[in-house]
Amino acid sequence: MSDYLLETRNLQLAYGPFHAVNGVDLKVRTGTIHTVIGPNGAGKTSLFHCLTGERQATAGKILFNGQDIIRKPSHGRVALGMARSFQLTSLFQNLSVRENLRLAAQGRDGLGALNFWRSVEHKRSHWDTADRVLERLKLNGRAETLAGELSHGQQRVLEVGMSICASPTLLMLDEPTSGMGIDDIPLMTDLISDLGRDHTVLLIEHNMSIVMSISQRITVMSHGQILVEGTPDQVRNDERVRTVYLGEAA
Amino acid sequence: MLDLYLFQLLNGLGLGMIYFLIAVGLTIIFGLLNFVNFAHGAFFLLGAYLCYTAVALTGNFWLALLIAPLAVAALAWVVERLLIKRIYHLPHTFQILVTLGIALIIQEASVLIWGPVGKHIAVPPELRGVLIVGDFIYPYYRLFLIGFAALIGVGLWLLLERTRFGALVRAGSESTETVSLLGTNIFRLFSLTFALGVGLAGVAGVLFAPLRGAQPFVGPEILGIAFVVVVIGGMGSFGGALVGGLLVGVVQSMMTSLWSQGASLMIYGAMAAVILVRPYGLFGRA
Amino acid sequence: MTDKNPLAVAKGHGHALLLLLIVSLIGLPLILPSATLATEILIFGLAALACNLLLGYTGLLSFGQGIFFGAGAYGAALLMIHLHWGMLGALVGAALFGALLALLVGALAIRRKGIYFVMLTLAFSQMAYFLAYTLSGWTGGDNGLLDVPRPNIEIAGHVLVDLADPRHFYAFVALLFLLIFAGALRVIRSPFGSTLMAIRENETRAAAIGYDIRHFKILVFMLSGAITGIAGALYAMLLHFAPLSNIDLMMSENILIMTIVGGTGSLFGSLLGAGAIVMLGDVLSELWPRWLMLLGVILILVVVFMRGGLWGGLADLVKRLQPSRALDAKTKETL
Repeated sequence: MSDYLLETRNLQLAYGPFHAVNGVDLKVRTGTIHTVIGPNGAGKTSLFHCLTGERQATAGKILFNGQDIIRKPSHGRVALGMARSFQLTSLFQNLSVRENLRLAAQGRDGLGALNFWRSVEHKRSHWDTADRVLERLKLNGRAETLAGELSHGQQRVLEVGMSICASPTLLMLDEPTSGMGIDDIPLMTDLISDLGRDHTVLLIEHNMSIVMSISQRITVMSHGQILVEGTPDQVRNDERVRTVYLGEAA
Repeated sequence: MLDLYLFQLLNGLGLGMIYFLIAVGLTIIFGLLNFVNFAHGAFFLLGAYLCYTAVALTGNFWLALLIAPLAVAALAWVVERLLIKRIYHLPHTFQILVTLGIALIIQEASVLIWGPVGKHIAVPPELRGVLIVGDFIYPYYRLFLIGFAALIGVGLWLLLERTRFGALVRAGSESTETVSLLGTNIFRLFSLTFALGVGLAGVAGVLFAPLRGAQPFVGPEILGIAFVVVVIGGMGSFGGALVGGLLVGVVQSMMTSLWSQGASLMIYGAMAAVILVRPYGLFGRA
Repeated sequence: MTDKNPLAVAKGHGHALLLLLIVSLIGLPLILPSATLATEILIFGLAALACNLLLGYTGLLSFGQGIFFGAGAYGAALLMIHLHWGMLGALVGAALFGALLALLVGALAIRRKGIYFVMLTLAFSQMAYFLAYTLSGWTGGDNGLLDVPRPNIEIAGHVLVDLADPRHFYAFVALLFLLIFAGALRVIRSPFGSTLMAIRENETRAAAIGYDIRHFKILVFMLSGAITGIAGALYAMLLHFAPLSNIDLMMSENILIMTIVGGTGSLFGSLLGAGAIVMLGDVLSELWPRWLMLLGVILILVVVFMRGGLWGGLADLVKRLQPSRALDAKTKETL
C-alpha cells in the first residue's frame, strides 16, 4: 500500500485548444489535510471536477488507493470511499436535516438502495450514522428542520457534513467557506480540522489565509499547472507564489 | 404522375410555411422567455375562428387577415400581463401545466362560441381559381399562402436582425440581466415578445382557415407538430423553425395519400431521435 | 427521543391513512349514484397514483402515462379474447406489458432532462397513438376494441365471485386498490422511495452521494407503468370496450391533471383528484358539456395558488384549525 491515497499522473482537461488542467501530478498523502489553492482561473475547480468525476479528464491517470478511477462516474466513486462537498450549497432543501444525512449514509449501499419492499427503518445503521454526524456538526437541535430552513452558515456545515456520512477515506471539499460570513468562518475551519483527524482531506480554497492554519500540505496552482508544493511555511515564503497572487491583484 | 408529385410538393411547402409561422412563434417565446407555451395550438385555433367571424361580419378576408392576428396577439398580451408573467420563474413543469389549462379554456370557449362543428371559411374571391401551366394546375390561394408566409418570415427576420427590438430580444435570450442593464423595461419586452410569438400562431390560423376551415379540436395536434418542428430545428432557432417546418410539411404532404398515420409516426419518431442524438436540434446552439 | 422519531410518527400516519382509505372505499359506492361511477373513480385513482410516483415523488413530468394505460387495456383485452385468459392472468399480463413499455420509454426518456425529457415522453405518446391506430387488426383502430370480456373469478370452472354485477366488480377493484395503495405506501417509505425524493430534490447531489440515478428512474417508471397498465385493463373490463382514446395524448393529460389537482406527492391526494374530476365530469357533462373549461381554470388555480392540490388544501385547513385552538388556549392562559 502506497503512502499516497490519491495520486494524479499527468492529468489533463482540455476544452478544445484550452487546457484548464495541464499535466498535473498531485499526490495526497494518507491522513493529511492537503489544500489546493491558486488565483481565479488557475484550474483548481477544473482539477476538482476531474477528481469527483463531474468532468471526464481528457488524459492522464487518477489513482485512488492505487486503482485508476479516471473512467468511473461520480456515483461509482462513492463506493470506493471518496466523498465531496459543493461550492454552491447543494442540499435536499425540502427534506429534514436528519434525512439529508441518512440519505448520504445510504448512498454507499449503491444498488442496494433500489430495495423497494423494506422500510427505511430496517437499516438502523444509516439512522445511527445520521445521528452521529448530527452530533458532530452540532446540529442535533435542528434534526427535524428542513434543510432549506437552516441559516446560511448551518447549511454550509451540513453541506460539508453530508460528505462524511458514507464513511469515506477521502473527503474532497470545494471552497467550504464560500459565501460564509466572517463570523462563521472559524466554525468551518474548526470542523475541517476535526474531520481531518479521521479522514484524508483534499481542500480547494481561494482564500490563502484560511488554509495556512489547518493544512499540512499546500499545492499552489497557476495556469492549469502546479506552481509550488510544500508545507504552509514553505508556500508562504515562496517568491513565485507571491508573484502569482500579486499579479492577480495588480 | 410527375405533376402529382409537384402538386404535393407545393402543398407540402404551403403546409410547411404554416408550420414555420406557428413554430417560429413558439421558438421565439422559448428563446427569450425560456417559457414553454402549451397554449400555442389553442391560439392558432382562435386565429382561425376569429378569421371566420371577421369574414362573416365584414365579408372581407383581407381585413380578417389583419384583425384576427392582432386580436389574438392582444389577448395573448392580456394573458401575459395577468397570468404568464407570474410563472416565468417557475420550473418548466409548472409552465406546461398552466398553459395546458389556458389551452383547455380557449378550446372549450371556442366550442361555446362557435359550436362543436367546424366552420367553413371561403377562399377570398381575388384568389379563387387555379393557375394553369401546360398540364399543371395549382390553386392561386395556395400560391398566395406560400408567398405571404414567406413575406412574414422575411419581415420577422428583419425585425429580429435589424431593429432595436430585435437586438434586445436576441440579447435577452443570452442574458436577461444584460438587457435590464441597458435600461430597457424587461417586463414590457417580455409582454411584447409573448404577444408577437402568439400573434404569429394567429396569422398561421388565419392562413390555414380557407384550406381546412376552423376545427375546434385541432389545437393539440397543431401544438404537437409545432413541437416537432421546434425540436427538429433546435429550440430557439429561427432558421431551424423554417427548415424544420418545411421538412415536416413536405413529408406529411407527400405521405398523406400513401399512409398518413405513417407520416405522423415518422415525424414523431424523428423528433424523438433528434432529442436523443442531437438535443439542440439541427440548427440550435449547443 | 423515541417519541420524536419521525418514522414512528410516519408509521402511525400510514396506518391512519390506510384506515381513511378503507372508510372511503366502503363509503364511496354508498354516496355515489352508481357502483360503476365509483369503480371508474378507483381506476383513475390508480392511474393518478402511478403518475404521482413519477411526478410527485421523482419530479418527472411524463406525457406517456396514456401509453401504459392504453397498452394495459389492449393487452388484457387481447389476452382475454384470443387466449381466453382469466381475470388474474389478464391483470398480471397488463401489468407486465405496462412495465415493459415503461422500461422502453423510461430508458430512452431519462437520457434527457427537463423540457427535453417532457418532449420525449410526448413524442413517444404520439407514436404509440398512431401505432395503435395503424395496427387496427389488433386494436380495432378508430373503432376501438369491442366486446372486451369481464371474466369472473373462478377455480376449476367453479365461479367464486360473479363480477358481472357492478357492485361485485367494485368490491374487487376496491380490494385491488387497497393492495396497490398499501404497496405504494411501502415503496415510498423504502430506501428506494426515499432516494426518489432525493432525486426530485437535487439530482446532482443524489449522484454525488453515490446513487446511480438512471436505475432509480427506470425502476420507478416500470412500477408506474405496471400500475397504470392494471388501471387500463380494469377500465377496458368496466366498459367492455377499449377505445382508441385510451392511448390518446388527452388521456395522459387527464391523468396528469387528476394527479396535480389531487396533490402531487400525496398518494391519497391522487384518489381525491381522480374522484373530483371523474365526478365533476359525470355531473357536469350532462348539464354543461363544456365543463372542461372549468377544468382548465382549476388546473391554473391549483398550480399558481395551491401547489399542494386538494390534499394540501385539506391539510392546511386542518392545520389552521388546530393552531387557532392552541392560540385560544394561550390567550386564556394570559388572561
